[in-house]
Amino acid sequence: MAGPLTAALRFDRVSFSYGVVQALAEVSFELEPGEGVALLGRNGAGKSTLVRLVTGLARPGAGTIWVGDWDTRDVTPDQVARRVGSVFQHADQQLFARTLEDDVAFGPRALGLAPADVAGRVARALAALELGAHARDHPYDLPPALRKLAALAGALALEPSLLVLDEPTAGLDRALRERVARALLERAAGGAALLVITHDLTFGAEVLDRALVLDRGRLVCDESLAGLLTTAPRLEALGLIPPPVAALSTALDLPGRPVRAADAARMLARVAGGRPVP
Amino acid sequence: MTRLSLDRVTFRYPATEAPALEDVSLEVAAGEVVALVGSVGAGASTLLLVAGDLAPRVVGGRLEGRVIFDGAGGDLRGIVLPMPWTQLSGMAFTVWDEVAFGPANLGLPRDEIVRQVDRAVARLGIEHLVARDPTTLSGGELQRVIVAGILAMRPTLLLLDEPTAELDLAGARTLWELVRALASEGTAILVATSDLDALPDVADRLVWLDRGRVAETGPVRLLASDEMLAANLSTTVASVWRAADLPAPYPVTVAQAMQRWQGR
Repeated sequence: MAGPLTAALRFDRVSFSYGVVQALAEVSFELEPGEGVALLGRNGAGKSTLVRLVTGLARPGAGTIWVGDWDTRDVTPDQVARRVGSVFQHADQQLFARTLEDDVAFGPRALGLAPADVAGRVARALAALELGAHARDHPYDLPPALRKLAALAGALALEPSLLVLDEPTAGLDRALRERVARALLERAAGGAALLVITHDLTFGAEVLDRALVLDRGRLVCDESLAGLLTTAPRLEALGLIPPPVAALSTALDLPGRPVRAADAARMLARVAGGRPVP
Repeated sequence: MTRLSLDRVTFRYPATEAPALEDVSLEVAAGEVVALVGSVGAGASTLLLVAGDLAPRVVGGRLEGRVIFDGAGGDLRGIVLPMPWTQLSGMAFTVWDEVAFGPANLGLPRDEIVRQVDRAVARLGIEHLVARDPTTLSGGELQRVIVAGILAMRPTLLLLDEPTAELDLAGARTLWELVRALASEGTAILVATSDLDALPDVADRLVWLDRGRVAETGPVRLLASDEMLAANLSTTVASVWRAADLPAPYPVTVAQAMQRWQGR
């Protein structure tokens, strides 16, 4: 088990209450660099609270949260932003600058980076989300779906070691969801850890490796996302429903139970063609 | 019986030349669920605003063509906008009062308001939320509250814009079941959604919008057509089937895929 020095994020028996309502109870887990984790659970299970704690917007009532080797109690939210890039659910409300590139540049500038470095990060973030053509547009001239991508670009431009995203695909059509998926996979391959609240398990299956499930503030499941998605009874007990690819793999009893569309298509072709299954 | 009819509708937002909708005609009958599908920006939200008499009446702009909704018999149309927090009344301290806001504004007698609110609350399964402050709800909770508030007004035409965007898959399934139930009671429903995988079980027909125009309209099996697959507007099952190079026609649902697979 990695210690607080190497994990991108570590929760150690973290509890949090809103007045008398306990939102999180003794939650412990770790995220390694490059790991993608889906934070799941019913509406009101404590997911948004957990994210607020990671970003330093709220402090744990008990327990400790480590972002790398920082105890979040010892740093301010703007310091946390050096390591954690976050996008909230209503992300189009995060934009404020006159042009998209200015908006995306705000974070890196606030980190005190040199202008050339800021420009490089902005360009990379916009390119990752294929927003380059909109760099000079006013953010509020963009449709809400693209504003959502713009907010994500702002988080990517921080080039953080941990990306915390709340429903990054809500309101996006499939083409835009695929753009977000590609950008996140690229960052994960570069070593960024991903902590993603999502009810879009189709997207989750394509991008993320592991599932953390919250139920009434408790962490009730910490395991491989693919395994969870192909075990329907356990999913249903958690109030979840398998996404289409996992449902298809299970229904057709495809070997290895792939949960990603490309893997399922390859396996379908292989089995249908009578070729040996690896 | 046709509840809503759009006849060659073209709509431009204020201070824009390019139409957001162009020459759109469609009808929705009582008891029918019609799905609007398309890429972001294709015009589905605008079409719902036009159908709900919010555009141009509230948002401005210019409308050509005709939108026909017969409200003569006291029929109402209800619209559920995307992003539910934009639709809060801002005048209710509890969820119950929020749901009651619409029927109260209709001037219904108090006992009728109570009956409709309780019924709508039960249909959305939000009994546990009625005493909560609406501003403290999660997105998914709020989405149910907003839908309940619309249902409490008993609309005969229901316009839904991405009604499951804030819901998890289980919540979405419940909402889609409610949509089917409302249709079976005679409500006409026009719904814009990107939840294409749900449509085979929910929609009677679909209307594919592309850059403000109707590209195609027909049964939900269009979601496995070459054109919709090419536009990335198919169901997941259909796209996996095609990616595997299996023969057309592609199944659109897991159930159809199983039949096809077993019949190999």
